[in-house]
Amino acid sequence: MSFRKRNAVISSSTSSQTATSRTENAPIPGIRPSPLDGRPTTSTGTASLDNLLAGHAGLPLGTSLLIGEHGTTDFAGTLLRYYAAEGMIQGHQIHVLGLHESWRHSLPGISTDDKKSSSKSETASNDKMKIAWRYESLSSGGGPRDRDAIQRQNSSAAGTTSIFCHSFDLTKRLNPTDVKGQIGFHPSMGMPNLSSPGRDTSSPLKQFIKDIAYKLANSPPSEVHRVIVPGLLSPTSYSSSSSRPEEVLQFLHALRALLRQYSGKLTVIITLPLALYPRATGLTRWMELLCDGVMELIPLQSSAVHAPPPSSKSDSKSEDQIQGLLKIHSLPIFHEKGGGSSETNSAHGDLSFSLSRSKGLVIKPFYLPPVGEDEQEKKKSESSKGSMEF
Amino acid sequence: MASRIPPLLDTYLGLPPETSLVLLSGILGSTTNWLVFRYLYSLLSAPSNPVAKEDGVNVVLVSFLRDYTFWKDGAGKLGIDLDVSTRKGKFVFVDGLSGLFYAPQSHAPIRTPGGAPGGRSLSSATLQHLRKGLEDAVTQVQHSASPEQRTVLIVDQPDLLLAASGDGISSQGLRETLLDIREKVHSSIVTLSADEPLISSQATSLEKDHAALGISLAHDAHLIISLRMLDTGAARDVSGVLRVTPGGGIDDSMEVVEERELLYFVAGDGGVRVFERGQ
Repeated sequence: MSFRKRNAVISSSTSSQTATSRTENAPIPGIRPSPLDGRPTTSTGTASLDNLLAGHAGLPLGTSLLIGEHGTTDFAGTLLRYYAAEGMIQGHQIHVLGLHESWRHSLPGISTDDKKSSSKSETASNDKMKIAWRYESLSSGGGPRDRDAIQRQNSSAAGTTSIFCHSFDLTKRLNPTDVKGQIGFHPSMGMPNLSSPGRDTSSPLKQFIKDIAYKLANSPPSEVHRVIVPGLLSPTSYSSSSSRPEEVLQFLHALRALLRQYSGKLTVIITLPLALYPRATGLTRWMELLCDGVMELIPLQSSAVHAPPPSSKSDSKSEDQIQGLLKIHSLPIFHEKGGGSSETNSAHGDLSFSLSRSKGLVIKPFYLPPVGEDEQEKKKSESSKGSMEF
Repeated sequence: MASRIPPLLDTYLGLPPETSLVLLSGILGSTTNWLVFRYLYSLLSAPSNPVAKEDGVNVVLVSFLRDYTFWKDGAGKLGIDLDVSTRKGKFVFVDGLSGLFYAPQSHAPIRTPGGAPGGRSLSSATLQHLRKGLEDAVTQVQHSASPEQRTVLIVDQPDLLLAASGDGISSQGLRETLLDIREKVHSSIVTLSADEPLISSQATSLEKDHAALGISLAHDAHLIISLRMLDTGAARDVSGVLRVTPGGGIDDSMEVVEERELLYFVAGDGGVRVFERGQ
């Protein structure tokens, strides 16, 4: 109890401006207090990722995520698109390093059957819970029930005023009429012909920090910023001088300083190709240490991903095909304090992800089915289907 | 009051012996922050026992990865108000995060909502600057205190300086600078990252320098407390493993540190429980 009382003071002191403006019935769109300790959080655009973030049900403002990805797939890029699209809809300022302007047109659009599908899935999950209440937490990414309930309350309460995390449709493109925020692209490689002569002296990474710092310093306090750094140090968009340890670590350190300085209005997501910068190297480890949350995506190279879904399984099953594993190495706020409370224990277990058209990247606990279940299921499912449907 | 310091760690978290160095090492996912908070608490809290011969300790905290707000919040939960300690002249915070690699433009004044009152900050990543910044901070805290008060220096992750400054700073140079400042204080506490890729692989100069710094500090240290994740994977009620080892810097005058391994658990409210395996 002493914890909560003190924390109320703390959160108001760290983000006094946002807190006061929030209470004066002028809520910043896309920001809600964490159910855990009340600090302001924003959505990553991926609901199942929000649920993983140590009980905060969103990315706390003033923190960063580093998402490493193995192989040549671009699941992390999809996460960034959702993060950007969510920010665009909520009217946040978005700063992208190193992508071409055309990236803006690849952002997913709001799914039109938003309400229907969400209510459907909710009732469906409720039905499942009645059948196997012990596994109810599995359906919500492993969160304990009370947290789930809070979220449902939040979402239902927010439904009348604003939505915290929209649902997107990958096959659609973001409609310009939905866009309220601004997106700015910054070059990740120096182009001597294009840039003004004064800029040539500093590296593109330093220039990026300067630009963001300038924008942050000259924006109203209620404006929320999102920084996107896709494929950090990938040779296709970064010059070799940027991948010197001092260059990139100074960049991340400066970014961390900015996050702390503007802890009420800035979040950052960085993706890193782990095939080029393996986690066993000191440089990658330092990059991870400098970010608040670190996740690792391991796509599975199984042929089953490309195989057509088995006809015996229902549609929802085929969408749930596991496309890879997700490992969490650290979480914002949680691990800074020392880590390890039962509330968020689910985040440490094995997690899997799958990409679906309507739900985006779905992250849920990974468990191997009992041996032989597959074959039995195939035989049984058809016969048992009739009895399951009442 | 006593419950804020886990009983099993009571012997380690007190004032370290004179001229000694305590090395705290952590890895990604098991940071040393909660240990530093406990040190701050045990050093800065007023002695409850009037018979105790030391009347409080001054602390200089240099942090390269965390800002003042973070330390203030965490210490506040333990009942230590760093603002008050700063005003009393018992505590000086040196900010190594905000301005180290990014100089704010002159027309955009740096906004520090939770800036330390009278706090200092490092604005350039050179050893000369570090030495001067720390010496000034130590002089400031010693100036405002009675001469018999001791000063403890806490350096949070100086390894960042080594990693992020390239060839500008060598591990030898950083260690010597730390040694020079250690001469001026009663004892020092240093936190480091000791992740496996940083200590054991030693393929690039970054890794070599880091390993050299870590190992030489471990040899200088009187006591090493290293934190790591549980080897067997995550558990519901265990955050990680805490290992206490005597360092290489023990001389005969110091009491012997017993080697032991304990488990720790950091609860959601910041409370810490430390226990033996199987308890």
